[in-house]
Amino acid sequence: MDCCGGVDEHDETCTEVKVKDGIDAGTVAAAKRLESENYSAGFVTDIEMEFAPKGLSESTVRFISAKKGEPDWLLEWRLDAYRRWLTMVEPDWARVNYPKIDYQAFYYYAAPKNAAKYKSIDEVPKEILDTYAKLGIPLREAEVLLGVEGAAETAATAREKPRIAVDAVFDSVSVATTFREELKKAGVIFMSISEAVHEYPELVRKYLGTVVPATDNYFATLNTAVFSDGTFVYVPKGVRCPMELSTYFRMNAESTGQFERTLIIADEGAYVSYLEGCTAPMRDENQLHAAVVELVALDDAEIKYSTVQNWWPGDEDGKGGIYNFVTKRGDCRGARSKISWTQVETGSAITWKYPSCVLRGDDSVGEFYSIAVTNGRQQADTGTKMIHLGKRTRSRIISKGISAGKSDNTYRGLVSIHKKAEGARNFTQCDSLLIGDKCGAHTVPYIENRRADAQLEHEATTTKLSEDQLFYVRQRGIGEEQAVALLVNGFVRDVLQELPMEFAVEAQKLLEVSLEGSVG
Amino acid sequence: MSTALKDMIRNPTVAELELVARYAALKADARRERLFEAFAQTGLPGRRIEGWRWTDFKAALTSLDAPKVATARDPLARDGVATLRFTPSGYAAPKALPAGLKLLAKDDVQAMGGAEDAPLGALAAALSGGRTPATLLVDVSAGVPVHLHMVFEGPGAINAARVVFLLRPGAELHLSESHLGGAALSASLIEFTLNKDARLNRTVYQIGGAGEAQAITALIEQDAGAESVQTVLAFGAKVARIETRLVHRESGSKATLNAAYLAGAGLQADITTHVRHGAPSCITGQVTKGAVLDGGRGVFQGKFHVPRTAGQQTDASMQHKALLLEEGAEVFAKPELEILADDVQCAHGNTSGALDAAQLFYLRQRGIPLVQARALLTEAFIAEALEGAGALEEALRAEASAWLNHAA
Repeated sequence: MDCCGGVDEHDETCTEVKVKDGIDAGTVAAAKRLESENYSAGFVTDIEMEFAPKGLSESTVRFISAKKGEPDWLLEWRLDAYRRWLTMVEPDWARVNYPKIDYQAFYYYAAPKNAAKYKSIDEVPKEILDTYAKLGIPLREAEVLLGVEGAAETAATAREKPRIAVDAVFDSVSVATTFREELKKAGVIFMSISEAVHEYPELVRKYLGTVVPATDNYFATLNTAVFSDGTFVYVPKGVRCPMELSTYFRMNAESTGQFERTLIIADEGAYVSYLEGCTAPMRDENQLHAAVVELVALDDAEIKYSTVQNWWPGDEDGKGGIYNFVTKRGDCRGARSKISWTQVETGSAITWKYPSCVLRGDDSVGEFYSIAVTNGRQQADTGTKMIHLGKRTRSRIISKGISAGKSDNTYRGLVSIHKKAEGARNFTQCDSLLIGDKCGAHTVPYIENRRADAQLEHEATTTKLSEDQLFYVRQRGIGEEQAVALLVNGFVRDVLQELPMEFAVEAQKLLEVSLEGSVG
Repeated sequence: MSTALKDMIRNPTVAELELVARYAALKADARRERLFEAFAQTGLPGRRIEGWRWTDFKAALTSLDAPKVATARDPLARDGVATLRFTPSGYAAPKALPAGLKLLAKDDVQAMGGAEDAPLGALAAALSGGRTPATLLVDVSAGVPVHLHMVFEGPGAINAARVVFLLRPGAELHLSESHLGGAALSASLIEFTLNKDARLNRTVYQIGGAGEAQAITALIEQDAGAESVQTVLAFGAKVARIETRLVHRESGSKATLNAAYLAGAGLQADITTHVRHGAPSCITGQVTKGAVLDGGRGVFQGKFHVPRTAGQQTDASMQHKALLLEEGAEVFAKPELEILADDVQCAHGNTSGALDAAQLFYLRQRGIPLVQARALLTEAFIAEALEGAGALEEALRAEASAWLNHAA
């Protein structure tokens, strides 16, 4: 080793990272491109904002509720959660370290002035439109996808020309939701949750908090008390949502926390694909993001939920960055329902996130595909929970962790087969790759089996690829290592190709990532 | 009991108060106090503590009344092997010892590294003494076989023992241990220091009843070129934890940690290992196999910790495979990796499920009855984990086979 005066041990100040032989150069370069100095979404939008008084108290909760003109039941629900939250202790079991959070140091509500939801896109201030345009998210429907003009006349024509409807959340409020009218023709409700509370109160009340109860965990309870906006989706019976739905979360204001709540319901036989993206300006302070996402899939319904998480990760010395404490859970409530989580995690200083599936309906299916890349001083503790309750439920977990710089990347997952989950199956594969000798990769799987007829497999190496595939590739004259890399890459690509690429620029960069040199 | 003593454990249970009383009755000793304090931080560990979520001593030990259990047979007892006995009547060792083996029964407690990480190991150390040595030091300087016989039936509801082995450079110890339980709580702490090029072959047999708790904690530290091979056969107890914490201190050290558990109704067997690759180029291989019946629970928790820089060129693999022989069986596993070095190979695998129906069918159509076919296949399944026991492999397989043909 040539750095640190040629001594074996690096000292703390040494910045040179030695990458071991055998790690694909394209992977190193791809990870490098994700370093904070290349963060392109770090700009600040200069716009006049309205804030709740700084800090958190019952009056903050009342302020947010009043701003949204909420019914009493919702205010009560928030206040109950707030009172409970006061008695709770912040969890410390994740492998992340951060200074104690001062919950009084944030604004819990920040909205562009006069932003009680703009009536039409023309009312949305130019600064905000420009912000989204700069992030690659055009909010004018006519601009969505180059070459496509205006809104389609019918749901049928919309199906032929794939487009993405966007709900744009700017700090604490939803500023625009595109293609609403068109979606309405198909019967799909797509709007901010604040609006849904008024327009579809019975639907919201029926499902809100049924997947992630107000009592669930410290951050979910906090969210319940102070959630400001988020997206509501309802896809009625037998409807295949005619376009991709998405929410783009943007944190902009200083010292604010973002607490959004997303609720997606796919009624019997419905299908919906939903994407979310997140970015924030570069700031030296840490900002808090504690979201809750609830998915409900009834009989034969399918929800595909994809995330490209690119919150500001902090600079290379760990200054600033978003604390991302997120509770995401899907409930496969109906028979033969399916929920699939796909996540590309590249941002945030701290990630604490476990998108999960409760497989309640018989023959329901849960999937979790994850690629997490950490750089600099980032710490990610992420994974999934698959709770098998119903008969013949199946789940699949594929997790790829790539650590670089001085970061730590942990996969933490639970597969739990309950007593009545006759014939349940799970397959888990989690691979880790370390780039350089100053980062860490950790795997913490929990596997609970209470059924003799369940079949559970967990592996964490790249060597257990299908023998047939490997043989096929090798007999074409390709070396073993290259063959493995090719096959693994092929898989990663499959996951990423499920994301619409125009939405997921960051994900594209990851396409070159190879897991050659994986450590297990 | 003084208030200060009572307050050592927060909200103590009846059993914990008895443990405090037992501690207070032993000869006061600053080291003993430190060890008991390490235990008292958690008290009897239970499901609220991460490493004990599936093995709840606090809930299992409602009181420390001595259970009525039949005297267990010791299948590893062999003539001509120096046998160290820990029984209700105290500690006994043969008068004549083979060359290369020295015993030193100490009346005072020895310090224990990492006591906070192993609360029941710390408890064993803190409660050793009285009729047994506070610490039994065993000095091994040549190639010797030793047998540890531990049985605690009869009066005395809590029993604890601590044995410390020092393997001098190049020494070779073939150690067999029979942990036969018999008390409401049996806790033992066995420590090993392997000097350069020392060899340890450790075979552990554990059996216990549905009314008792057992904790067997082993700490192993290995110097350059040292090698250990550990084989455990556990039948569990109401709660039973066989925990091994191993540190590769210098490069070129090698460890094999294998285990098989067979848990019947009302019994629980927990195999927990923690391996720290504290030096470059060390090797760890681990195979754990288990089979569980209706009402039984198997637990496997494995962890490889590969520290920054020191852990480079680690080669480690962990496998846990379990059979749920009947509905109502439970198998919980947590194969964990913590890797902070980039040039390493660490793999882990975990499977659990039923016996292969095709294999069962094959045997049955040959005229072998279901029960026997199942026993045969299960025995073959766990055999891999017992291979390292050398001369004792047959004895272990015979025990496993008898259990499979009768209990299962």
